[in-house]
Amino acid sequence: MGRIVFYFFRWADESSVGAAIRASTWVFAFIEVFHLLGLTLLLGTVVLVDLRLCGYGLRRQSIAEVASDALPWMLVGMAVTIGSGSLLFVSEAMKCYGSPPFFVKMGFLFTALVFTFTLHRKLTKRNTPPPPVWGKVAAGLSLFLWFGVGLAGRAIAFY
Amino acid sequence: MSLFDICQALQDSAIGTSIRESLWTFPVIETIHILALALSVGMVVMLDLRLIGAGMRHTPAGQIMGQLKKWYLIGFGTMAASGVLLFWSEAAKCYRSDSFRIKLLLLLLGGLNALYFEIVYKPRMGQWETGQSPPAGAKVCGWCSMILWIGVIGFGRWTAYGMK
Repeated sequence: MGRIVFYFFRWADESSVGAAIRASTWVFAFIEVFHLLGLTLLLGTVVLVDLRLCGYGLRRQSIAEVASDALPWMLVGMAVTIGSGSLLFVSEAMKCYGSPPFFVKMGFLFTALVFTFTLHRKLTKRNTPPPPVWGKVAAGLSLFLWFGVGLAGRAIAFY
Repeated sequence: MSLFDICQALQDSAIGTSIRESLWTFPVIETIHILALALSVGMVVMLDLRLIGAGMRHTPAGQIMGQLKKWYLIGFGTMAASGVLLFWSEAAKCYRSDSFRIKLLLLLLGGLNALYFEIVYKPRMGQWETGQSPPAGAKVCGWCSMILWIGVIGFGRWTAYGMK
């Protein structure tokens, strides 16, 4: 299994896309700007919904209304962040292979995605609001997971 | 004494030097600066999208602004505080960076755009109910806001790369 993971990283690192991004000094930076713009939209919508779950922010709207309004833009934010992130990854896959925070980040990302589209979504989709305690637990977990992705991602630059 | 001398003195000051040379301080402040984007620009974009008619249909624009104001003010406060500390540690480098100058200019324009909206459109926001479209001028403010903030983030990242 470890060997397959290693081959995958090697394959990404040796791809022509990765080489093309590496060859230019500004393409990487340009993609990273998109990564940040996607992050702003993604974390912004996550915070909006989780604030509401805790009883803050858009309190005059129901949880379901806020969540359904935020969803399309959360998906756009995810698509931009993950798309640009994949390009950044192939341009330095071997560096990522040697970076513990990268694997921590992927762990957080996977957990955050699963949680967001299952339990969290189920809780925010219902027309009857969840018990406040559960809303707060779900919001806290969601914020922890998504900001964990961001923090671990930042740490890749150091390890 | 030129503006550059002031920037150089800031950068060379005890606080500037300690932020720059510490292993953790600069990256920690920088991370806060990036993650606070969610509360600052992230919240304002929700209002902008509502203004241009691209989402948040369940909430009238006036209610978005009223209910989120506290949160994006916290966000922008965090941005400003962390940004000042980052600038303090690299003021002379920022002075020479064209990206940083463009970022400041776009930041100023973004502020003026928000101020214009506050004065001209905010008093009338209660009139635009859920289904009703905001006036054309308010939509233009929404577009300007989004474009300017994208520019601020982009040139901010460019500044961090030390590019011209």
